[in-house]
Amino acid sequence: MSTSNIRRLGRWRVAVAVGAVAALALSGCGLNEGNDSGESTSGDGSTVLRIGTTTDVSNFNPLQSLSKTDSWILNAMYPHLLRIDENAKKAPELAKDYGYEDDGKTAVFNLRDDFKWTDGQPVTAEDVKFSAEKIMEYKLGNVAAKLTWVESIEATDATTVKFKLSQPYAPFAEGVGFWMSIVPKHVFEKAGDLSKFANDSDWVGAGPFVLDSATKGQRYVMKRNEHYPLAPEGKAALTQVEYRVYPDVNTMMLALRNGDIDLMGNPVPASAAKSFDNDDKIEMTKVGALGFAHLTYNMNNKELAKQEVRQALSMSVDTKAIIASVLQGDAQQMAGPISPIFSEYDNTEIQPYPFDPEGAKAKLSAAGYTDGNGDGFFDGLSFGVACDQSNANITRVVQLFRESAAKAGIKLENECVERNTFLARTKSGEYDIDASQWGVFDNPMDQLRSTYLSSNPGGINYNLLKSDEMDRLINDAAGTTDQAAFVEKIKNIDKVVHEQAYLTPLYVENFQFAHNASKFTGFVASPSDLLGMVTAYSLAQVKPVG
Amino acid sequence: MARFVLSRAVKAVLTVWIAITATFFLLRLLPGDPTTLMVEGDMTPEMQAALLKTYGLDRPLWEQYVSYLRELTQGNFGISFRQIQPVTDILVDRLPWTLLLAGTAFLVTIAIGIPIGVYAAVHRGRWPDKILQAAGIGGHALFVPSVAMLLLVYLGARLGWFPIGGAIDPDTRGLAAYASLAHHLVLPVASLVLVQLGPYALTLRTNMIEVLGEDYIRAARARGLSTRRRVWKHGLRNAILPALTLMGLQLGTLVGGAVLTETVFAYPGVGRLIFEAVGQRDYPVLQGAFIMLAVTVVVANTLTDLLYAVLNPRIRL
Repeated sequence: MSTSNIRRLGRWRVAVAVGAVAALALSGCGLNEGNDSGESTSGDGSTVLRIGTTTDVSNFNPLQSLSKTDSWILNAMYPHLLRIDENAKKAPELAKDYGYEDDGKTAVFNLRDDFKWTDGQPVTAEDVKFSAEKIMEYKLGNVAAKLTWVESIEATDATTVKFKLSQPYAPFAEGVGFWMSIVPKHVFEKAGDLSKFANDSDWVGAGPFVLDSATKGQRYVMKRNEHYPLAPEGKAALTQVEYRVYPDVNTMMLALRNGDIDLMGNPVPASAAKSFDNDDKIEMTKVGALGFAHLTYNMNNKELAKQEVRQALSMSVDTKAIIASVLQGDAQQMAGPISPIFSEYDNTEIQPYPFDPEGAKAKLSAAGYTDGNGDGFFDGLSFGVACDQSNANITRVVQLFRESAAKAGIKLENECVERNTFLARTKSGEYDIDASQWGVFDNPMDQLRSTYLSSNPGGINYNLLKSDEMDRLINDAAGTTDQAAFVEKIKNIDKVVHEQAYLTPLYVENFQFAHNASKFTGFVASPSDLLGMVTAYSLAQVKPVG
Repeated sequence: MARFVLSRAVKAVLTVWIAITATFFLLRLLPGDPTTLMVEGDMTPEMQAALLKTYGLDRPLWEQYVSYLRELTQGNFGISFRQIQPVTDILVDRLPWTLLLAGTAFLVTIAIGIPIGVYAAVHRGRWPDKILQAAGIGGHALFVPSVAMLLLVYLGARLGWFPIGGAIDPDTRGLAAYASLAHHLVLPVASLVLVQLGPYALTLRTNMIEVLGEDYIRAARARGLSTRRRVWKHGLRNAILPALTLMGLQLGTLVGGAVLTETVFAYPGVGRLIFEAVGQRDYPVLQGAFIMLAVTVVVANTLTDLLYAVLNPRIRL
């Protein structure tokens, strides 16, 4: 090869490399072609609220999606019969009210008559019936399990829908009302098999906003529904809501500070909340959780099957110290398994087990446990504590639990692992103690059924408990439609679980949401990181400052 | 040469097949399956079984593997479990961003690394050389996300010179869109270059020092060739060969770095897609992304080999 050839090759190499990268990349990146929904704030009278989210929408089909971040966008489009208000109580949304007939065997929802789909069609009882029937037919999402008792659904007129149940189930209406998205029958029925319906374009919704464009990895633009009866003026004050994707929550915080977004959809981590202290324009809003952190004991372990051992473990957890150090004091200690956020079930008879390692030791000695080899630990009392290591708070809880249990002579091993591995282990029962955080329970009855029924209907009976007494108590309460009697029965189960120490409930975390208060006001925050500031109702109330 | 090209091509195909097979089985060896994450909802075992059937995960592993290979030969990467969308469509959306990011970082690394390496070699033992050695070794220890976050905090948030994350301002059009694209690209590229530059410049320096001591360079000097001509024309052309191989190999690292960089900078590339799909155990997306990256690395390495052979005919023997 001659020198001139090599020289030519050098130029060729550079030219091809540069050209290939530029051409391939730029041609594919698209540079905002066909992305015409982006006209920004003011000037033309538009008001755009920009919200940070951590992940892309994985599934646009609201009947099927199980993702929290999907639900933020989908719930703003598709109404629900009920919503959860600031105090964790069910409030009317599409349904004006609800009740039971036929000794609790028929649940009746009366709908508002002023909700409209964005294509002008009214939202009717037929839409509700269609949504529920399709969920049952294709077993879609997590609502299918809540419809287990439904034998038939009837839309008696345009605003009345009746669910006939195989047996009374007290929180049926609340559970289905809150969780089930209502979709437009006239749009979705054309899709055929709804388990395969992506619903990723030409959206028709009846919430305060409806998706207009989705640019994966970048942003989701939602336009105002010009007819939304739950907004103060009959439509939202915002003309547009835009979700921008920041997978790293630290980057999202910088974007808020920088004015690139106006609200973080995700809560600010407790450890980072103080960093906003010196920023006057950022306002923090605090809400409670609908779930809680807990230590749950596997009853298949022969030592953990003993009540004294579980009680001793409960006495070995310094929950107050955990709240102070892990959550900077921003949490509420729990006593029984029902979250204090459900105030009507508040059980004054129950007090948390005191942190008392010596008392725990005495209890275990009385139960016959000894320290034969003098290593400071009771013989045979060694347990693994499994947790999801991506949850920094729980991982720290396990470390502190391990240290405090050692003082009571109980040896614990930290078995915190990657999230999927952890979930696979909990699913197959391969753990002694499960340290985790329940996400969202919208009512205590569903929680107790899911976590303690021996049939394990929700797959989250992490105790692997098979107790005839608990089954009887839970099923009895579930069929009670008289509210006062129902509350008493729930309180009684609360007491039994506490005495048995099936779990050690730890704390209800407070979530903090940050938004730019110099630009927007009027958010209505609801408990939990599922709802937070971004519910349909909240976004419909937001208005620009000034 | 034809035989050489053929043997390299066969090796490349074999490597890609091994990558496909390894990806397929390794993903399924991970604890949990795509329904594991859904266990927290009220999902009954029957519903889980139904989902696994929909995903085809209820069939024996070898059967899944054979059917996957069959589909692959027809260019079908499958349907994403979570997004109910063909994996090809998802990847086609994301790949250009990663190519732009990694490709620009690659070119910038070369453009800066070559002069630095050459300069240090020519000034061997003097302070520019010492600085390069210290910085090069230090660069090895840099962790991409930390560098990325530092750049973002100081150059983005504090000084406000660069945007906080994203790839482009979606509201820009025409020339302004290109400017916005370049503006958004600076910090992610800088963090990848900072991590890559050290090893590359150091390798080039070492090769250059060796080459500059060769007889033919001394002969060139005796013939009265200028230093510039000796170093840049005769020296660099020979010293760059091993560095070229290194760059080929480092392409894998670059892509790995892109996973983390894209996550911190909210860059919509394949790296971030992988990050999200791992959490969801979305096998088809992960398989598709890994295969595509494997193909990219294998093709780049094969091209490097061929280029090497063109530049250095002894290789072909």
